[in-house]
Amino acid sequence: MKHLRQGLIILGLILVGWLALPANASQAASNSDTFKVGMEAGYPPFNWTQTDASNGAVQIDGSSAYAGGYDVQMAKKVAHALGKKLVVVKTSWDGLAPALTSGKIDAIIAGMSPTAKRRKTIDFSDTYYASQLVIVVRKDSKYAQATKLSDFSGAKLTGQLNTYHYTALSQIKGAIKEPAMKDFPAMRVALESGTIDGYISEKPEGISVTGANPNMTMVEFKGAQGFKTKPEDTDLAIGLRKNDPDKLKINAALAQISQKERNQLMTAAVAQQPQAKSQGNWVVSLLKQYGGMLASGTGITLLISLVGTIVGFVIGLLVGIVRTIPRGGSAWRRGLLRFVDWLLSVYIEVFRGTPMIVQAAVVYYGAAQAFGWNMNRLAAALVIVSVNTGAYLAEIMRGGIIAVDSGQFEAAHALGMTHLQTMNKIILPQAIRNSLPAVTNEFVINIKDTSVLSVISVSELFFQGSTIAGQNFQFFHTYLIISAIYLILTFTITRILRWIERKMDGPQNYNLMANQNQVSNPKTSLTN
Amino acid sequence: MTDEILAVTHLEKSFGDHQVLKDINLQIRRGEVVTIIGSSGSGKSTLLRCINLLEQPTQGEITFHGENILAPKFDITTYRAKVGMVFQSFNLFNNLNVLQNCMVGQTTVLNRTPEAAREMALAQLEKVGMTPYVNAKPSQLSGGQKQRIGIARAVSMSPEVLLFDEPTSALDPEMVDDVLDSMRALAHTGLTMVLVTHEMAFARDISDHVVFMDQGVIAEEGSAEEIFTRPQKPRTQTFLKRYLQR
Repeated sequence: MKHLRQGLIILGLILVGWLALPANASQAASNSDTFKVGMEAGYPPFNWTQTDASNGAVQIDGSSAYAGGYDVQMAKKVAHALGKKLVVVKTSWDGLAPALTSGKIDAIIAGMSPTAKRRKTIDFSDTYYASQLVIVVRKDSKYAQATKLSDFSGAKLTGQLNTYHYTALSQIKGAIKEPAMKDFPAMRVALESGTIDGYISEKPEGISVTGANPNMTMVEFKGAQGFKTKPEDTDLAIGLRKNDPDKLKINAALAQISQKERNQLMTAAVAQQPQAKSQGNWVVSLLKQYGGMLASGTGITLLISLVGTIVGFVIGLLVGIVRTIPRGGSAWRRGLLRFVDWLLSVYIEVFRGTPMIVQAAVVYYGAAQAFGWNMNRLAAALVIVSVNTGAYLAEIMRGGIIAVDSGQFEAAHALGMTHLQTMNKIILPQAIRNSLPAVTNEFVINIKDTSVLSVISVSELFFQGSTIAGQNFQFFHTYLIISAIYLILTFTITRILRWIERKMDGPQNYNLMANQNQVSNPKTSLTN
Repeated sequence: MTDEILAVTHLEKSFGDHQVLKDINLQIRRGEVVTIIGSSGSGKSTLLRCINLLEQPTQGEITFHGENILAPKFDITTYRAKVGMVFQSFNLFNNLNVLQNCMVGQTTVLNRTPEAAREMALAQLEKVGMTPYVNAKPSQLSGGQKQRIGIARAVSMSPEVLLFDEPTSALDPEMVDDVLDSMRALAHTGLTMVLVTHEMAFARDISDHVVFMDQGVIAEEGSAEEIFTRPQKPRTQTFLKRYLQR
């Protein structure tokens, strides 16, 4: 359904593969009694996230939310046939293939098409749903009455990035090809706001969106008047690791499900998909419905940025201290210092010079694929943010240390203090104070930048927000609430750190100590 | 010489190709006040900084109670605790208040208890007339006040020798006297002092021994009387004449 070209992730994996072993050294996520299935849980009616277990939804691994939809029902049937317990792992679209090949999941059931490109890295079962392409438009636009592709001449159209939907756009002569978009929620917002006239989608998604949003409709095409598509594009299949021993059993299970049953399941899924309850004040109803998800997202964001900043601060401090050790002493000592300094520069350059989203992909998926390390998602996030922050703060701390005038180093040395004592008692208190505004800055950046961790499916605030928006189609409202939460977080943090700064500065005035000395020696009167 | 504390022999110091000190020989005895005079760039400050190893000598020997301080195994930090230094630019610790400035060396290097350190610091601050300001931060004080604290900080370490590197050169004229008074009082306690200064009248007044440096060498030395009233070398005479004309 969507073409596998996962940009940054692949770049990361190539890096790791090049550094380490051939990429086929993966292991099964579990040869035990569980069947781990990866899906976005944000692509209704195939899969979505909901807050309760109604309509046969399955709890998402490591979360209090549930996954429902056509894919979940299929996954249940397959797991039943395998005699295993179904575990749903919520994974972002770009993370699905790496998660499969690295053994973090056993199968992808996420509305994915078995394209030739994807077949190079993973295997597929037989088809479990066949679809067709449609164009979603606004009901009040002139394109709502279109019946053939040529009716869309002059329309501004788009499709999802890295999918055959977008490449199919070139079959419409005269259409204006807008840049591809990241996901369906983004295209729905664009359509509703009028920046595009329509987007290419598949029938189930079209049914969903027209059901949820009365302003939208979908244009279907009959036979030769529509898009020319290949079965490998329109068919949906279950993604499997190559040489999966369970493939035959899975195909046998799929063969048991008749076309009629599939259609019934799809109709049910479209009817069951979560709808926005929009009675009363929208803020109140949104918070009431999704308050739990927002709170847990806020908590995760705060946890990651707080731990990341504190650990990163400690890393930065240590690196800064080591990098400012005076060069002297024996040749051996100088050589060692130069080597350590070189290592630390490499660390700083690498982590400052690559995007955090790539680092996250390399650490989380790369480590699993190359070395078989199966890291906890949250732990990986904490490590990445800490190490990344450390690289930035190391230079800030070094600057803070250098900014203390060399006379104070000399005075401390002249008193007989060692380098460590000088740092500890004199230099670092001043360096830390000097760099606090920069640390505040880094904290604020961390709060916002944890959103890139959605690539490894850490359910922080932005990830939760996208999930909610994908469910209730209230994009503007949801993102407005999310941005308000971000603003409250960053504003509060900034104030707290400003207060700490003032605390460290101490009182602005001092008290003269009145005593006999002052009286007997007039020279000590205030001269400034 | 039994009461010799410091001895400098054949000391050389170069910064790259530029030789700043050439064959310096100097003895400092217990209770003596030695003043080094000379024009700017003559190597006075460099000599002082070599003595407490803020600069590493290129060649030669410095002994402290007969022990070579340039030997690889020599315990530099203990030595520095015994040889105090007062800087031209004060170099007070900006993160600490006046009292803490005078305590931090005592507690970290000499391992004195906070109570003992505090008592010592207060006693020395009183001698320089800075007791009222114990709670002030260095940034809140004038230059003369800062330098008196610099002196109190150095003396609080109970040093055997105290080095002064142009202590009044960065001060406004009206503040110089306060600092010189404090130094004079110290000299009267019998503390061994090595002083680099341009205050000729003061040097003449308190010095036991005066060294005139010119272009990296000791051009002439002798008692204060000898150097200031009957200088022998023409270079010394020119230098002093220029100062007296001011």
